[in-house]
Amino acid sequence: MTTSATQTTDGVAANPLRKGLSVNRIPDACNIVFFGASGDLMKRMLMPALWNLRLADILPANYGIVGFSRSAFSDDEFRAAMKESIDQFSRTGPAKEPLWSDFAKHISYVSGDFDDVNCFHKLREALEQNDKELGTGGNRLFYLSTPPSVFTSIVDQLDKSGLGPRDNKTGWSRVLIEKPFGTDLDSARALQAEVSKVFEEKQVYRIDHYLGKEPVQDIMALRFANVIFEPVWNRRYVDSVQITAAETVGVERRGGYYDNAGALRDMIQNHVMNLLALVAMEPPVASDADSIRDEKFKVLRAVRAIDRTRVTLDTARGQYDEGAIAGQPVPGYRQEPDVRPDSNTETYAAVKVLIDNWRWADVPFYLRSGKRLAHKTSEIAIRFKSLPHRLFGEAGDALDNNVLVMKIQPEEGISLRFNAKVPGPRMHIRSVSMDFNYGTGFGVLSAPAYERLIGDAMRGDATLFTRWDAVETAWEIVMPILDRWQNAIDESFPNYSAGSQGPPSADRLLAMDGREWRRI
Amino acid sequence: MNVESSTVSSSLDAIRAQLAHTRLSTSTFNLVVWIDDPARRDWILERAGMLSEKYPSFTLILDHTGARSGDATVTTAAQDAESIFSVRGERVDIDVAGADAATVAAYVNELCGPGVPTILWWSGMREESRPIFEALLPQVQTLLFDSSGGARDEEAMRKLVAFHKVHPEVELRDLAWMRLRPWQDMIANFFDDPALIGELFSIRRIHIESGSDSEAFYLASWLASRLGWAPTGHDAFTDRKGGRIAFERKRIGDIRRVQSICLDSETSWYHGEVTDDPGVVRVWVEGEHAREPRLFPLQAIDNASLLERAVLETGADDVFETALRFAGALLE
Repeated sequence: MTTSATQTTDGVAANPLRKGLSVNRIPDACNIVFFGASGDLMKRMLMPALWNLRLADILPANYGIVGFSRSAFSDDEFRAAMKESIDQFSRTGPAKEPLWSDFAKHISYVSGDFDDVNCFHKLREALEQNDKELGTGGNRLFYLSTPPSVFTSIVDQLDKSGLGPRDNKTGWSRVLIEKPFGTDLDSARALQAEVSKVFEEKQVYRIDHYLGKEPVQDIMALRFANVIFEPVWNRRYVDSVQITAAETVGVERRGGYYDNAGALRDMIQNHVMNLLALVAMEPPVASDADSIRDEKFKVLRAVRAIDRTRVTLDTARGQYDEGAIAGQPVPGYRQEPDVRPDSNTETYAAVKVLIDNWRWADVPFYLRSGKRLAHKTSEIAIRFKSLPHRLFGEAGDALDNNVLVMKIQPEEGISLRFNAKVPGPRMHIRSVSMDFNYGTGFGVLSAPAYERLIGDAMRGDATLFTRWDAVETAWEIVMPILDRWQNAIDESFPNYSAGSQGPPSADRLLAMDGREWRRI
Repeated sequence: MNVESSTVSSSLDAIRAQLAHTRLSTSTFNLVVWIDDPARRDWILERAGMLSEKYPSFTLILDHTGARSGDATVTTAAQDAESIFSVRGERVDIDVAGADAATVAAYVNELCGPGVPTILWWSGMREESRPIFEALLPQVQTLLFDSSGGARDEEAMRKLVAFHKVHPEVELRDLAWMRLRPWQDMIANFFDDPALIGELFSIRRIHIESGSDSEAFYLASWLASRLGWAPTGHDAFTDRKGGRIAFERKRIGDIRRVQSICLDSETSWYHGEVTDDPGVVRVWVEGEHAREPRLFPLQAIDNASLLERAVLETGADDVFETALRFAGALLE
């Protein structure tokens, strides 16, 4: 029985009524400021996520939502645009009255340049007004959903205008930064240097929206909430691991950005490295943010550096040519808008990684990501070793290796492949699959990642955000590859057709080890 | 989803033979539903149907209303039209109007699948059904009840309190309690502001208006259990310092629904009141900590959602059980 207010781990008095409720701690009253508020991410993801947090009663009673971007909007125009985005993209359908009008009262807008300190003074006035009128208590979450090129400028102006944490005497200040965090190791370190001048590490929330997906969080549950997997989760039983993030889409309207990024920067350095860390890490000592992030960091530190001379042996790159997706013809990468006609940017990257620790020594982790591939698939496949001795099976029966697949998208679930006897008088063995699907298993759909991540950042829970040491180490891992790829034109580009399994060089990468990719 | 129903005799052999045509590919629970009130039969069947269609599960409807004619229906729902082995759900509806306790217990014992929890949704209120209830209890892990399902008064809650005293080992779920979650969220929301947490310990009066009594007793008892109050009589609690907290309730509005709540502290009045839209509550504070009115969305409280929560949330609910004990003390 609770008889008095207790304290949470961060020293805040805990509400004794919250025990047993759906949310055991509602975020503090706060303002959320969205830089880049007129952008596509805000429209498609962020505002619908906020609305659904409101419907789920996860927003605090006192909150303010402030949009900031260059576009000229009045408060009412911005609210109307946000309602339109909710109506169009919210998973719970259009915003309805009377809740919408109540929600809209909390939304306001500041128009300005990201490098103009006067505009940030205007923002400060707006936030102080919200503190008075909406009771937001001086707490501020700054969400940088802008192109990375202006991250530094925004952080700098926040500091100069007195919006940084040092000048916030009444509440907390946090900054939420969209990926990519830097475009290479040097730029990431430079960005970190600027960010850390203003914000302490515990105030920085680096988003990798993959981490907000239920199946990604389920990787830890599968490993550490079951007794049957962990004993075989090591070099004695695991033959290899394949991590795949395949897309059918091309660069769409992001040609200008993507042509300077490529698959290695866009996917492998962040999303795929996070998956690698989750699947390979040791059990954390506790479930708090730093215990988990400590273990993830240790894995990345143990990744064997890819020697520049081995880049060609341990990696493969590709660029899509024209082809067909779902029967529809699509253009090649070099024909996409805003892409250089002689671009050397990879739209497909595959990397073989070794982890030098006791658990994973000599077990190859094959990472791949690409655009315009045959299917949209994100998954982690653990392939177990072959049987030490073949006892069953007729001649010609293939005794496949056991494979455990964690499906992240579009399917969400787990699949285990094992061998079973075919009914009949003879001992025929065939590989069968046992599937668990989140949708049918629990009868509920996963909430979008952004809902989880925004709610966590407001609460101050950094578990699903990437810490600087992990970001830096992930850059260190990919830098030799980036350097090599940037300095060596791949004359074979374009080297795979849209709608295919990827470039032949990727197949050769595994063939050298006597293995092959799972079909996408 | 491909659904196929067959009517067979109520004999266990006939039902088993029909079920043997298929196998559940995945099963998450067995849901046993007892119905003995003809007036609520359709309502309960609809909710049970929604649940069994959504989850890979086995549902056994024990129909004691006399609306069936001595037969059983076996329904299987396949995951896709192509498959004959991959079955998403199975459901058996049996006429048990003339069956004795041993026969009904045999249905449950023989037909429910092993290895997954068995949940009994007991919608009965008739005293003559008690032997069957007692016979089924040893076979279930979770008992699902609705103390405000069929009546506005406190009688069903008294029965539940008495049952819990005798069978503390049974995991209880009361839909009347679960329906209150959005109201609990709303009340908690008043005091999430650290500056207002102290207010919780100076509450002097609770006034609740609801369509049936269970809601009022549960909400007040929940607050008491969280804040260290002790029930004193039918209409009051005492806090740790010996202060009296008056408990007032008024039966008004639709059954199973809360209309309003007011908490009076020594300095402020905390109000929540359903608006014209039954899914939205207007909340405001008067007095020293006055707050402007704002709207609070009541999350889904439809019975299908409550049933889902009841089957997904496993284990004893100590917050609920404490509140139930306190409600029992108020009812004495």
